[in-house]
Amino acid sequence: MSDTAPRNPRGAPQMLADALLRSAAGATALLRVTTASTDTSMSEVGLVATTFAEVPVSPVLMRKLRPSWQEGGQSQWELLVSATSVEYQVNALDLASAQALFAMTLAVTVAGQDYLIESIASNEAFGQVYLYRLLLREARQQAV
Amino acid sequence: MQNAKDSFYMALRTRLTAINPERTILLRGAVRPGILVEEAEAPLSQLPNDVFVLRWMGLATDMDLASTMAVEQCEIVYQTCGTQSFGGLDRGRTLSEMDEELIAMLQPFFTPKLNYSATPPAAMLTQVFWDEPAFGPMTVNRDLLGRSASVMVYSYQEQGE
Repeated sequence: MSDTAPRNPRGAPQMLADALLRSAAGATALLRVTTASTDTSMSEVGLVATTFAEVPVSPVLMRKLRPSWQEGGQSQWELLVSATSVEYQVNALDLASAQALFAMTLAVTVAGQDYLIESIASNEAFGQVYLYRLLLREARQQAV
Repeated sequence: MQNAKDSFYMALRTRLTAINPERTILLRGAVRPGILVEEAEAPLSQLPNDVFVLRWMGLATDMDLASTMAVEQCEIVYQTCGTQSFGGLDRGRTLSEMDEELIAMLQPFFTPKLNYSATPPAAMLTQVFWDEPAFGPMTVNRDLLGRSASVMVYSYQEQGE
């Protein structure tokens, strides 16, 4: 049987991923992104406090990866992020790609806890990304 | 010591702009010369390619002088996969170009010490100077060639530092 639905079938994997994420957890993650600094030379040596913006992406699902039990090692997490929300924020921020958005992300906040991005992967169907998978590790406490 | 580190970085950054203005990086929403201080940026899970990364390592002081002399070891790390137009087959040549750029950036082996916490940066009384770089062996990680060079950076501690 063919799909006679009027909507674009290429969007189906995205809708399915969103529905699954929403039903499984439906949490929101905040990407802490840096804004372009006007005085680059001062900010390049860590003198000027960079201004940050928090970009929400939702729905997301957080899952803990199997711990490796290394001495002093930190837990690693995988954050499954809806590609629809990433695409929305990429357009809102007028960025070239999702990679550009993740490249300017300093930290990811989920439920008040900060995480650092270790690596980024994506899942595609019909040539369209429907899910981003961010490998995260917990950020250490910073001085106030 | 921080003033010496800042002055060293700013000297190299300025010289790189003159030597190869094409070497740039898009970082924190700004296009900058292709050199950065690792400790002044967000934690990097992977070092960026075709960029010089300054990493401050060792520290020693000599207090048997009229002014305390601080010696800091700066490791300059860089790596490349070559260029797309050559399918990466020019990665050896690209690394050699970076070696040459680094040698050119480090000459002359001194720069005025400035206090960058003031606006505009205030000139200090002494200079920052450094040794010739000690290049490490080339590291090969599949298609990625890399190298690090170690430079000893000297500066005198001034009043108020």
